[in-house]
Amino acid sequence: MPEVLVAECPECGAEIEVTDVIEGEIIECPDCGVELEVRSLNPFVLELAPQEEEDWGE
Amino acid sequence: MHSALKNPHPSIELLRGAVEIESLSGQEEALAAYLVNAMRARGYDRAFIDEAGNAVGEKGLPDAAHTIVLLGHMDTVPGHIPVRIEDGKLYGRGSVDAKGPLCAFIEAAARACPPTGWQIVVAGAVEEESATSRGARHIATQYHPDFCIIGEPSAWDRITLGYKGRLLVDFTARQPMGHTAGPMSSVCETVVTWWLGIQRFAEAFNRDRKTAFDRLLPSLREIHSSSDGLYDRVDATVGLRLPLDIERADLEQAIRSAAPQAPDLEVTISFRGYEPAYRASKNTPLVRAFLAAIRGQGGRPGFKIKTGTSDMNVVGPVWGCPIVAYGPGDSSLDHTPEEHIELDEYLRAIDVLSDVLIHLVNPLP
Repeated sequence: MPEVLVAECPECGAEIEVTDVIEGEIIECPDCGVELEVRSLNPFVLELAPQEEEDWGE
Repeated sequence: MHSALKNPHPSIELLRGAVEIESLSGQEEALAAYLVNAMRARGYDRAFIDEAGNAVGEKGLPDAAHTIVLLGHMDTVPGHIPVRIEDGKLYGRGSVDAKGPLCAFIEAAARACPPTGWQIVVAGAVEEESATSRGARHIATQYHPDFCIIGEPSAWDRITLGYKGRLLVDFTARQPMGHTAGPMSSVCETVVTWWLGIQRFAEAFNRDRKTAFDRLLPSLREIHSSSDGLYDRVDATVGLRLPLDIERADLEQAIRSAAPQAPDLEVTISFRGYEPAYRASKNTPLVRAFLAAIRGQGGRPGFKIKTGTSDMNVVGPVWGCPIVAYGPGDSSLDHTPEEHIELDEYLRAIDVLSDVLIHLVNPLP
């Protein structure tokens, strides 16, 4: 059985359960849809993923 | 301030030398020779100018199972800016777009020691600033990398994930001359009619689309009218920045349909420079390596998506591998009379890239 990792969404507070993720992976909160980055596995820590901005470049 | 800024530094000398060599699109030979010499001096296993005129350096065995391509470009847009260093900034055409990112690639790969099974390739492509992208198209046929980094200014702590697409349209209308007091519309008015039609199509397409990346962005680039005494003629060029989900055939049909029709009016419309938009995934080992490397240098990473195009549009769909664009510098300075790069940021980006290469060739268990 893969280990179930549990953490709280830092945006909406929803309880998020995942399995089979790796450090640095970006997942989506199933409740509020915000992107979250897996910052560590042990302990399991989710943080808001780096923001995306538009740029008028090249 | 980066400690290396206190003294003359080989990485800064490399960049300054590159910026001092003018390299307009199609005229990159001198810069290519300079960069190949620089890569040889830095111990690359192979460094050469390829069939397309690209400057290429390779480290590791050529038949290695895994390859990382760092693809920058050598050419610049026109506009002479006196090369100088002031207050820790290097001024000069191409300093930010994109000799800074390319020289950062050369320096970072020079530091890398690819283990058995890995090859690192640095390529300075020709003709990125023209609509041909000839250098990148050639590189796309030469390698099948596991990872690709495109050299464009993102800022040292930002990672570019995507670029809009592009389509250029040339319009010509011709009709017999008539007296300006007569009832016939002037040939110049045909461009106005056509352009307004394109704008209406874009407005309809863009309804409910909030971001510039998702919108169709047309711009009227040129209009020129002439007469040979018998016929009046007008030529115009429209550029369109394309979102990911637009069908080229539908767009071209809409552009053709927007052209006015009248007896004796001849209209021709042709298309060139098409590149589809491209957006890379965030969930790749390459992105994770950048996030870790930027944090390792004390930064707080972020992502960018850009409204322009780059060689990512060319090689991204061909290779289908994890890809990002990265490089030091503020892209709002691209093509401007004030183009410059912060040398502290340039050196920091070299450190980030070095860490990224280490992460990629020595993945965590």
